[in-house]
Amino acid sequence: MLKYIAKRLLSSLLTLFIIIVVVFVLLRQMPIEGYFDNFDKLDAKQVDAKLTQLGLKDPIYKQLWSFFKNLFNGDLGLSSRYSKDTPITTLIANKAPLSIYMGLMSLAISLALGIPLGAAMARSKSGFWDKFGTVFIVFINAVPAAVYYIFIQMYGTDAMRIPMTFSRDNWLTWILPVVSMSLGSIASNAMWLRRYMLDEMNKDYVRLARAKGVSSRKLMMKHIFRNAFVPMIQYIPASILYTVSGSIYIESLYGIPGMGGLLVDVIGRQDNPMVQALVMIYSSIGIIGLLLGDLLMAVLDPRISFVKKDGAR
Amino acid sequence: MKGLFENKKRRTEDSLNAALKQKQYDEDAYFERAEYDPFAGEKAGYSDYSYWRSTFKSFLHNKVALIMLVVLAVLVLFTVIQPLLPGQYDALTINNDPVTGIQLQNQAPSSTTVYMTVPAGTELLGARVKGDEGWYAVSNIIGAVKKPTKKPSTFTVLEYGEDWCKIEYEGVTGYIMNNFQTSIQKIPEDPYAVPYECYSNKAPKIFNAPVNISNSGNSLYAEAQYLRETEDGTVVTTAETELRNIPSSQPFLFGTNNIGQDLWALVWQGTRTSLWIGFVVALFEALIGIIIGVLWGYVRALDRLITEIYNVIDNIPTTIILILISYIMRPSISTLIFAMSLTRWLGMARFVRNQIIIIRDRDYNLASRCLGTEPSRIMLRNLLPYLVSVIMLRMALAIPGAIGSEVFITYIGLGLDVNTPSLGNLINEGRKLVTSPSLRYQLIFPAIVLSVITISFYVIGNAFADAADPKNHL
Repeated sequence: MLKYIAKRLLSSLLTLFIIIVVVFVLLRQMPIEGYFDNFDKLDAKQVDAKLTQLGLKDPIYKQLWSFFKNLFNGDLGLSSRYSKDTPITTLIANKAPLSIYMGLMSLAISLALGIPLGAAMARSKSGFWDKFGTVFIVFINAVPAAVYYIFIQMYGTDAMRIPMTFSRDNWLTWILPVVSMSLGSIASNAMWLRRYMLDEMNKDYVRLARAKGVSSRKLMMKHIFRNAFVPMIQYIPASILYTVSGSIYIESLYGIPGMGGLLVDVIGRQDNPMVQALVMIYSSIGIIGLLLGDLLMAVLDPRISFVKKDGAR
Repeated sequence: MKGLFENKKRRTEDSLNAALKQKQYDEDAYFERAEYDPFAGEKAGYSDYSYWRSTFKSFLHNKVALIMLVVLAVLVLFTVIQPLLPGQYDALTINNDPVTGIQLQNQAPSSTTVYMTVPAGTELLGARVKGDEGWYAVSNIIGAVKKPTKKPSTFTVLEYGEDWCKIEYEGVTGYIMNNFQTSIQKIPEDPYAVPYECYSNKAPKIFNAPVNISNSGNSLYAEAQYLRETEDGTVVTTAETELRNIPSSQPFLFGTNNIGQDLWALVWQGTRTSLWIGFVVALFEALIGIIIGVLWGYVRALDRLITEIYNVIDNIPTTIILILISYIMRPSISTLIFAMSLTRWLGMARFVRNQIIIIRDRDYNLASRCLGTEPSRIMLRNLLPYLVSVIMLRMALAIPGAIGSEVFITYIGLGLDVNTPSLGNLINEGRKLVTSPSLRYQLIFPAIVLSVITISFYVIGNAFADAADPKNHL
């Protein structure tokens, strides 16, 4: 067990390192206008001077080294265009809490609605709930999120008679963003739970339990659901972590001052240091989330650490 | 107890012996000797099963998918032939009013653009005719009104409204605007007590119906060939003439956008772009995914290396890679295709690899190898045919996925510019107008077309995967 955890931890750290290096090198190719707040007014000499001052003319390994040194001191650099010369960590610390609140709310909704839906679908195979759920899942998976988000915003705010933009004090304006954010995860929770439950239902131990006369309700709850839910737990840590990043669509649609909208903003203004910091944060979150998920699974399901071999997940 | 058992045993033996005896004696009664039949001999080795026919058959059982297939086929076909149809506007042409030169922006979608039909001999005010071709702006004021004079003209008010009054003037009944172009003089204390006489300093311009001047303008268009200019400078119709909202007999089916481009043409042009991106991405996904997947699964030496590369790329969120690549490279169709292909092959490669590991060491492959078949031939002929159904599924799902990614990238401002219409930027342009309900059609039309395409591909892909799974074959 410990050996597995140590191995998994090490490989995650290595991956994280590789990704930061790759992203760092890729981002050196960014259009250089993004390092200035007044690029058009500068001549070549001034541009050169500023690039040297920022250390962008150094060899790449030197830049990387100073980046890592700063990273360990909790310094991600200064914003160039979005909010001139403000530390990026401050900006993010201001933006992240709202994204986390909303993300956690929508996570709660998606679990509270998605899991019962998936269970109902598995129970009534080709009954009403199965058909209803299938139509819902197909719609959510097939139609690009941007499209139904816009429609929800457009008709939802009309129906509720509230303004289209979010305001922190009016709780009515929280409803639509949080609900739209959870739709995708409701669909995927329901879809995977249904699939796992149907897989479990065909197993021998279920047949045996049925033959013994276990009631259908008890069989569903105690035998099938529990086993089917285990593989889903793996993704919960990642989902919690991802609330930090916020939803890019939702936040910029409703004008929510969170992290997701921030990424769109800084891309629009070509603020290179900000883009770099956010991209790195987002990719690290993905890796850490997966790592935590795997560790959680290893704790919950002892088979994993023995059986799992190196290879693609 | 023991006796009972013995008894049972004896009875069983007896019945077995009896059956045996009967069999010996009655064999000829039950069986018939078959003659040698060469055709029947041929039949023995024949099975009616064909993979593709069974796949096709079980696909046909799925009615929803079948309907979607027809819808999609019609849609794709129409998208391809749309520019060849007669009377289509060019997508990028900005349509201007021929007289004023103002862009025909935000024209509401309409199936017919005929506003009214006037009989021959109607005098059209506000028209200028210079030739017999094209369209001319006229006002929607009915004729029979003399040219404005300085003399006050007297008319009878039949209905009084805040904006519009219905009047009778020299035998013509129609509407005038209240206190605008015609200032009505001498209004009685209770103006609603009609009828009464009034006068105006100018001859009133009479409209045949109240119109919203501010919105559609009081310009209508008539075709030049039906107009004639008289000696005193007025323009009259020579035949029954249709007055249209737009200077063309071709209506804008989906209306126009905010710079006067035809939304109908834009939507189909955009569908072509998006489908093209989707197809190319699907093709690249298949190509890269299969090559890497086969190498990954079949060549043991590469397993470790590709697995590590896979883990690194797979750990970065797909959207981040998309954003990163689009940010570094300039927005264009090839950038989008490159950015999407960079991540999409992962799923395909992993799947191909897993399948290949399962079937690579089956006996027929071992036999093939022992007989000295080249690895490339084993891969192409022995392994790949097993994967066809799933490759097709993933390609079908890649198309809605790519279209969705394109919408996303455009949404965050890194997509194609408006001179390359795509469903993504049409939706993005439409999104900016949602605050005014009368312009929402500019979002709704592209969104509907996009949803139909993505849902169809998704449903068909899944139905095909079900049908192609031999477990579901009869």
